[in-house]
Amino acid sequence: MAYPTEQTDDLKRYCEKLSLLPEGGVSFLLMEGLRLPAGCQPLVCDALLCPVAKDGYPSRLYLSVQVVSTYTRNWNCSNARIGERNWFAFSWKVELLNPTLTQLLIAHLNGFAKEK
Amino acid sequence: MSKDRYSRQSFLGANSEELISRCTVGVPGLGGGGSHIVQQFAHLGFQRYVLYDYDVVEESNLNRLVGAELTDALAETPKLHLAKKMIYGLQPNASIQGFACKWQDKPEPLRECQIVLGCVDSYKAREELEIACRRYLMHYIDIGMDVHGKEKPVIGGQIIQSSPGGLCMRCMGFLTDEKLAAEAARYGDAGHRPQVVWPNGVLASTAVGLAVDLVTNWTRRSRTHTYLAYDGNEETVRESLTLRNLAIKECPHFSGSEVGDPILIEL
Amino acid sequence: MKAHIKMTGELHAAMLKDLTRRHPFAAERVGFVFGQLGSLADGGRLVLLTRYHSIPDDQYLEDHTVGARIGSDALTWAMQAVYHGRHSREGIFHIHLHGHRGETGMSATDRHEIPRLIPGFQSVGRDAGHGIIILSLDHGSGWVWTQGSADPADVECISVIGAPIGVFERRRTE
Repeated sequence: MAYPTEQTDDLKRYCEKLSLLPEGGVSFLLMEGLRLPAGCQPLVCDALLCPVAKDGYPSRLYLSVQVVSTYTRNWNCSNARIGERNWFAFSWKVELLNPTLTQLLIAHLNGFAKEK
Repeated sequence: MSKDRYSRQSFLGANSEELISRCTVGVPGLGGGGSHIVQQFAHLGFQRYVLYDYDVVEESNLNRLVGAELTDALAETPKLHLAKKMIYGLQPNASIQGFACKWQDKPEPLRECQIVLGCVDSYKAREELEIACRRYLMHYIDIGMDVHGKEKPVIGGQIIQSSPGGLCMRCMGFLTDEKLAAEAARYGDAGHRPQVVWPNGVLASTAVGLAVDLVTNWTRRSRTHTYLAYDGNEETVRESLTLRNLAIKECPHFSGSEVGDPILIEL
Repeated sequence: MKAHIKMTGELHAAMLKDLTRRHPFAAERVGFVFGQLGSLADGGRLVLLTRYHSIPDDQYLEDHTVGARIGSDALTWAMQAVYHGRHSREGIFHIHLHGHRGETGMSATDRHEIPRLIPGFQSVGRDAGHGIIILSLDHGSGWVWTQGSADPADVECISVIGAPIGVFERRRTE
C-alpha cells in the first residue's frame, strides 16, 4: 500500500529517515530517529507507525524501546516482532476521522504528554 | 546401534530414517506441549534441533512437563536442559542449538529449520512465529489448548499446519483481528491458563504426526495446510468446520516475494 | 561463510518440470531463478528463491560441444531483470539440471562458463546475492556470491519446503 507523497514528506520532518516496511499485508512506516516529546527517556528512538487497525487499535505507534515518560503508561505490548525487530507499544487509542499521517503521529505522541 | 532400532517404523518408507535424520526442527517453547514434541522427535530419530525456552521447572509444571521430576522443581532446572537431556538420552549424536531466551531474541538459528512447531501461549506469539516462518520458508505447525467454563469445563485445542505458499492461520479462520484485540485488551489480566498432560499429549502427538508426514510423505497426502480441532470432552480430533466451509483458495495475507530480510523502501 | 538455499515445493516442481523438457537441439535446458537474502547466525547467508524464468527455446544457440548455450537475448533479459530488481535486492541464479539422481556438481564446462556471468550481475545488483544452482532429479548443489565477493560460498544445504520436504546436503569431504 502506498501513502500520499505529501503526507509522507510531511512526516519526514519528525525523524531522520522514513521508510516503508511491508509485512503480512500491512504497510508500516519505519521512522528512524523519531524525536519524542520532552520528558521522555530516551528522547530519540526508532518507531513504526501502523496507520491501519491492528490488535484492537485503530492505529498504533510501536517504539524500539520501552520509553520512560513523565506519566506512567500501560506498556501492553513488549517485544512485538515486526520486520525482524522487536517493538514496544503502550495502550493508547487514537480515534480521529481521516487523519493525515502527521496528525496520527502527533496524536500518538500526545500519549506521552497527557496524564490520561 | 542395532538396525532393529527403527524397524517398527519402517512403514514410513525405506529411506525414512535418513530423511528424518536430515531434517532440522525448531521448537520455540519447551513447556507442556513442547516437552512432548521433543520427546517424540527424539524417539523417532530426529537429529537436528533448534530449541528455545528461558524458563525453569516449577512445581506447578509437574502435572504436565514431560521429563520433569520433583528434583527438577526443587533445583529449578532450566526447561532447555530437560529437553536436551531427553534428546541426548535417545540420540547421543544429536545436534542441538539451544537458547535460554525467547526466539525473538535470537531468531537467526530458527531460519535454518525446515519445520517449526509452535507451542506458544498467545495469539500474538503465534502470529509472529507464522510471519517468521513465511519470511524464511519454514513449515509452521501450531498447537494449543484451552479450558473454558467453570461449572462445566470444556477442553478445546487446535493443531494447525501453515506452509509457505499455502493458506495461513488467518485464511483458515484461526487468527482474527478480534481475537488479537481481545487478547491485547486482557494483557496483565491473563492469569494462569489451565493446562493438563493428556490434551497436550494428543495435540503434540498429532503435530508430530503431521511433521513426520511432511518429512517422509508416508500417507502420500501432500498437505498444503491443515486445521484440526480437538474436543477434549468428546475425545475427538476432527478437521475444523471453518476449513470445511472455506471459500479462500489462495492466501492473500502473505506474498511469495516477501521473503528474506525485510526490505525497506526509503521514502 | 555458511550458505543455505530454500525454495517452496511448488517452485522446485515447476523448475524440474521445465528443465526436464526436451529442447529442439540443446541437450540441457537453462533457466534463471530469483531470490532474496536472509541472515543466518555467524554471518551465514540464506537464499530464499521466489520466482523462475524459463528461457525461451529461440534464445538458445546451437552448439553441440556443450549441453546448452544461451544467446545474448537471454543474457540481456537477465541483466535487465537484475537492474529492475535492484531496489528490492533481488538476486539472480543461473539454474540447470543434470539428469541423474544423487548429488551433482559443476561439470568442467559449467565451471568454465557460468561463473563468468556473475560479475555482470554483481555490478548491476550490488546488494543482492547471485549465483549458480544445479539440480539433479532428486538433489541439488549451489554457489552463492554475495555483495562484491570474488569467490562464491558453497551452499551447504538446499531445502525444498514442500510436501514432502527435500533436504539436499553437500557431502562433507574428509
